[in-house]
Amino acid sequence: MIQILKVTGESLSPSFREGDYVLVVKTPFLLRSFRRGDLVVFNQPPYGVMIKRIDFLSPDGDNIFVIGSHPESTDSRQFGPIPRSNIIGKVIWNIKSKTE
Amino acid sequence: MFHQLISKLNTKYNFELARAHCDIPCGIYDPISAQIAAVTVVRMIDLMTDLDSKAGEKGTDYHNSLSRYIAVKEEHAEKAKAEIRVIWGDYIKAPHLEKYPELHGLVHQIMQLGSKSRQTTDRQTTLDFVEAINKFTEIFWATKNIATKRVKSPYNPPLELVYPVV
Repeated sequence: MIQILKVTGESLSPSFREGDYVLVVKTPFLLRSFRRGDLVVFNQPPYGVMIKRIDFLSPDGDNIFVIGSHPESTDSRQFGPIPRSNIIGKVIWNIKSKTE
Repeated sequence: MFHQLISKLNTKYNFELARAHCDIPCGIYDPISAQIAAVTVVRMIDLMTDLDSKAGEKGTDYHNSLSRYIAVKEEHAEKAKAEIRVIWGDYIKAPHLEKYPELHGLVHQIMQLGSKSRQTTDRQTTLDFVEAINKFTEIFWATKNIATKRVKSPYNPPLELVYPVV
């Protein structure tokens, strides 16, 4: 239950840059608990599959507010919190295109 | 090393994209276009006043020049309003509004002054238009933690404009 995705866009720069790859774990028991700061990949129509960082969770844990680090990031500040069911997986490894 | 390996695999398997989406590619928002457009409006008022004060017959050339000044004034007042609307609507987000609660009122004031600049030939209105956009510019750069300075424009009319210190 692991997937590799390629990052496009700069909303998580400088941590994640255009051209990086991320290893995403989709195992259901690992997706039961989320914490602030976790990086998640999720479906968000009409944008498609997005990658953002968790800012906070609703008290019942069913809705998750996600943000990017870039000032122009399109995220929950624009489209609101996302339902937990939209989450595809949690990022466990960033394979950087450039070593710093 | 890992990236090279994964890139080779990507050419074969074409991995799905995870969009770290930004509003535009990427982050090119700058109120300078609005500032220049607003100063242009003041300039057109000055040219209209200058033309009107000249002695002589107000013939075809006079009407041609006056029409052109009015058309440019109309166009640039609307352009300044549009540029501010884009930054306000697309770039400004809830955390900015929490920090600068005056932003909504200021943008509304800019819209009103822009419209009045089109409707009238009142120079003071156009100066207020420039200054309101200056205030917006100061806030815009402050949201990016970039300091600003006020400098007189090196062209007519020599009005004070806000520039980022970069």
